[in-house]
Amino acid sequence: MKISLNWLRDFVTWDCSDEELAHLLTMNGLNVEGLERFELAFPGVVVAKVTRREQHPNADKLSLCRVFDGEQEVDVVCGAPNVRAGLTVLFARVGAVLPGDFRIKESKIRGETSMGMICSATELGLGGDASGIMELGDELEAGTPADEIYGCRDTVFDIEVTPNRPDWLSHLGVAREVAAIAGCLLQVPETWSPSLSTPDTLDFHVDIQDFAACPRYTAHVARGVVVGPSPRWLQNRLLAVGARPINNVVDITNYVLFETGQPLHAFDLSRISGGRLKVRYAAAGEKIRTLDAVERTLDPTDLVIADTAGPVALAGVMGGTGSQVGAECTELLLESAYFEPGLIRRGARRHQLHSESSYRFERGADWDAVETGARRALWLLQSICGAHIDSGLIDRQNPDSKDPEPIALRTAQVNRILGTALPVPQIIKHLQAIGLKAKPLGQASDRDVSAKLMVTVPSFRRDLFEEVDLIEEVARMHGFEKIGAEGRVRGAARVDRNPRAETIQTLRLFLADLGYQEIVTSSFMDRRAVDQLGIAPDDVRAELLPIDNPCHGGETLLRTTLLPSLLDAARHNVNADAELPLRLFQINKAFLPAGAKRHNPLHADEMLLPEETHALQIAVVGRSDEYNGLPGDLMEIRGALEAISGICRLDLELDPGTTEPFIQPGLGWRVRDRQGRIVGHAGQLSRRTQRAVDVDASVAFCELDLRNLDLAPKPVQYAPFSRYPAVKRDLSLVAGANCTYGDVKAVIEEAAGALLDRCELFDVFRGPSLAGGTALGIRLQFRSPKGSLKGKAVDTAIAKITAALEQRLGVRLRT
Amino acid sequence: MQDRLDLIRTEGLALIEGVSSVAEVEQARVALFGRKGSLTLELRALGALPVEERPAAGAALNELKTFLEGKLTVRATELQNAADAGLGAGTDLTLPGIRPVPTGGLHPLPTIIREVCEIFRGMGYAVAEGPDVELDWYNFTALNFPDDHPARDSQDTFYIDGKRLLRTQTSPVQVRVMETRQPPLAVVVPGRVYRNEAVDASHSAEFYQVEGLFVDKDVSLADLKATVTAFIHALYGPDIATRFRPHFFPFTEPSVEVDMQCFVCRGGGCNVCGRTGWIEIMGAGMVHPNVFAAAGYPRDAYTGFAFGLGIDRIAMLRYGIDDIRLLYENDFRFLQQFRGVR
Repeated sequence: MKISLNWLRDFVTWDCSDEELAHLLTMNGLNVEGLERFELAFPGVVVAKVTRREQHPNADKLSLCRVFDGEQEVDVVCGAPNVRAGLTVLFARVGAVLPGDFRIKESKIRGETSMGMICSATELGLGGDASGIMELGDELEAGTPADEIYGCRDTVFDIEVTPNRPDWLSHLGVAREVAAIAGCLLQVPETWSPSLSTPDTLDFHVDIQDFAACPRYTAHVARGVVVGPSPRWLQNRLLAVGARPINNVVDITNYVLFETGQPLHAFDLSRISGGRLKVRYAAAGEKIRTLDAVERTLDPTDLVIADTAGPVALAGVMGGTGSQVGAECTELLLESAYFEPGLIRRGARRHQLHSESSYRFERGADWDAVETGARRALWLLQSICGAHIDSGLIDRQNPDSKDPEPIALRTAQVNRILGTALPVPQIIKHLQAIGLKAKPLGQASDRDVSAKLMVTVPSFRRDLFEEVDLIEEVARMHGFEKIGAEGRVRGAARVDRNPRAETIQTLRLFLADLGYQEIVTSSFMDRRAVDQLGIAPDDVRAELLPIDNPCHGGETLLRTTLLPSLLDAARHNVNADAELPLRLFQINKAFLPAGAKRHNPLHADEMLLPEETHALQIAVVGRSDEYNGLPGDLMEIRGALEAISGICRLDLELDPGTTEPFIQPGLGWRVRDRQGRIVGHAGQLSRRTQRAVDVDASVAFCELDLRNLDLAPKPVQYAPFSRYPAVKRDLSLVAGANCTYGDVKAVIEEAAGALLDRCELFDVFRGPSLAGGTALGIRLQFRSPKGSLKGKAVDTAIAKITAALEQRLGVRLRT
Repeated sequence: MQDRLDLIRTEGLALIEGVSSVAEVEQARVALFGRKGSLTLELRALGALPVEERPAAGAALNELKTFLEGKLTVRATELQNAADAGLGAGTDLTLPGIRPVPTGGLHPLPTIIREVCEIFRGMGYAVAEGPDVELDWYNFTALNFPDDHPARDSQDTFYIDGKRLLRTQTSPVQVRVMETRQPPLAVVVPGRVYRNEAVDASHSAEFYQVEGLFVDKDVSLADLKATVTAFIHALYGPDIATRFRPHFFPFTEPSVEVDMQCFVCRGGGCNVCGRTGWIEIMGAGMVHPNVFAAAGYPRDAYTGFAFGLGIDRIAMLRYGIDDIRLLYENDFRFLQQFRGVR
């Protein structure tokens, strides 16, 4: 909302700088976001008389004029068709600077000297007619500076008005705030009042179909209206607040809107059929062409103003072109009404038509301003357009509407909420400053801090309807800055630990230290990702929750898995030539509308909410080496998982094989927790998916469902250890084709007995000499808690191991 | 005998003199003192001497051995020192080092969320969370946003249908917490929120907030100011001035907006603060009685305050990030600049 300070000065005075006023308003809740200078100045432009006009000898469309500018007579070439001798004009002398930094110089035009320029309104930035020069009244004296007639210097505040304060969407409303801050009186603008002695009867009728939708409707008739341009001062004010002058009637309705906040509409009375208006709901399919030249089809929830021929206005939003006030209009009907805010808001949204009117109505207009706003406009119509106002008028009001009851305010509650010790009189003073009436219930002495006040709220403050609203007003007027001396830093006296969150933080730090970069990705996902990942239709991740109203159009869906976003990040960085391999991780949510429903919801509708997952994903992108004959990326992911499992004491097991469609068969694991439940998967991204998502590098990754993991760390329990020396033995084994290292290790650990301290793989070899088998180099370390081991004891253990390996797995010592 | 000793001494000294590398020291040692070394052989030959000559000869021989060992050790030390002195010669010490591990890092958003939550944890606040897909009831109605009220416009909402939406704020968790717990309550709620608006350098459809709520029997606006100020001082330093302006949020009354003195210009006015000297950092207010009622509390029994702040904005101000989209693009050239920030 733009507020002109010149306009504001009509109603209030203040004795500080503009900047200080902006600060005071800001600290009172009226946030001044910008302060701009609005200036119309015309240095070097003066009133002049055209004393002679001749045809330019070398150009058909140009005139050669003598112009007297109050000091001297000069020759000027002019291109306007309407220039003639005897005309009073605005003349830019040599040296004048016009808007757009256009400097007037002495020049030769088609061989003739021109010592200045006769100006059109457009050239002076005054808007309006560009086809010819401005014709001024002959009473103006030559030499009068243009600034004296058209100049304007104003400061305009750009204020942020919160939706609870429709009263601040007007100069009068802001003036009330300034009056409260500055402690000055508010001058109200002049208004028309009906002559009580000679009441006309108004031969016009207004019917209201539904008083709930339109609780108040007033109409006045103005006759003998002369439509034309508005006076300069009025145009300047509209320009200053960013509105475009149109004609005096329309300008006056806009002026009153910006001044009082009351939206008005003027109908050309001669274009209203049947001498009757009806405020009613539209019939389905009815049409109206609104002033923005759009034909709109209405439905029965739209409220319209209609004459006998059909809708003439979309109530509270915009008028129709059919009854628009044009140049030929002489009699008009002025509408001033109160419409139900929710109805106007729904209508404006449905038609995507947001006007200055609807903006105010949907926030709640001022009941009393329906009348005072109309009267202000009538006064202006009288004084500017020469209108005669019929003293008969229409004021239809909902018979059921009542003034709101006074609000009870406990002063003790004021001080409780604010943390203050304000005495009753001070609270009353603050409320009165903003136009509220506050009366103590019963007797209250000046020193009382605890009394009950009954507070009556004026019609322009219907945002105040309960005690706490009044408490905020007291705080505002007292000054937020003055509150707080007694304040304490508040928090609970107990500390809640959150082991899950602590473990997740441990994980983040550990992964970063392992070389993984954390990413944060979007919650949205493309539908194609379902196919790219090969997710089956009956998979819980195949059903995506769509957004109903994305502002950019198109389809917007919530992700059911984090994987597409991880692959997006991989592709982005691979394509950006990042150093490979990339290592990424993310911890975030996905949304499963087909997933589990809430347990024991407090609200039945909670069952509608999707299951929200919480997952950790880790990925290695573009690592192409081998490790023990297997892909290095796959083995790194396994290593990372084993490390996480160790550091967070999760006891995760990697179980070869997975059913995830986007993992390459044979190159993946199910991840199980210590109870054997599946808590995730890991593996290499399938070649098919990798091609489909167009990532130009191999990807190995794992995903852990954090909700199913026991993240509360298992407490560490110290175990005594042996300080006696260890004995190491290496075994060189040959395992058959179907025998895994896992099998071998399990048999060794079982057969070795209590003395086995460590079992480590140090070499893997496959070759033609092994006939499909695998050679495994395994280092065993033995240690006893009771003393130094004898070779014989170790030999016995080794013998047991080799016997068990041979017997149970057919694994032999390599010879 | 003396001649033999002289010979061994002369030859031994020549041998030691001739040693020119650390490796040759060992050869010389073997040649002199090894199993077949000249001194060892001579010592063994002592047995062949008459008994009365043996002590003198043995003593002379041992003296010679000690002498030559000393010479050899001196020579060895010289050679070792010479070899060590050459170690650093001609090296290029500007070559890159060996990376101990690959370089990972944390994303600034979760890191700042944690930082903010840790400050509040230090003040006795517990962390709570809520769903991203929320009921209209929790996101709006229970927070005192009437249906068809323009206050809803200020939060362009992604609707799923009439009842479900993507939360536009973390505030719905206030109600969820109050529904399940009784005062005194002190919680902070980090989380992702959504706004249905065109994405540009300063607007993202998804971003992060941290919400806070404190409810007890005697909480005041003065307490709110003290608590929020303590937080801002913890985050930005104890010298940063703050100011509290009246504002409007449907779920708090009175409502405030909190500005802090611009940490770049310290109030003088610069590009970061839009020349005002102040940076808008938080919204806050006293919990509206209608919100208590919606959560099932008596309207009048408790008072409380709530506050909310944008995490992305803190990150952008702190790191001088001029485009919010960078925070969600996951470009390594961006992310890896925050390595070590945790």
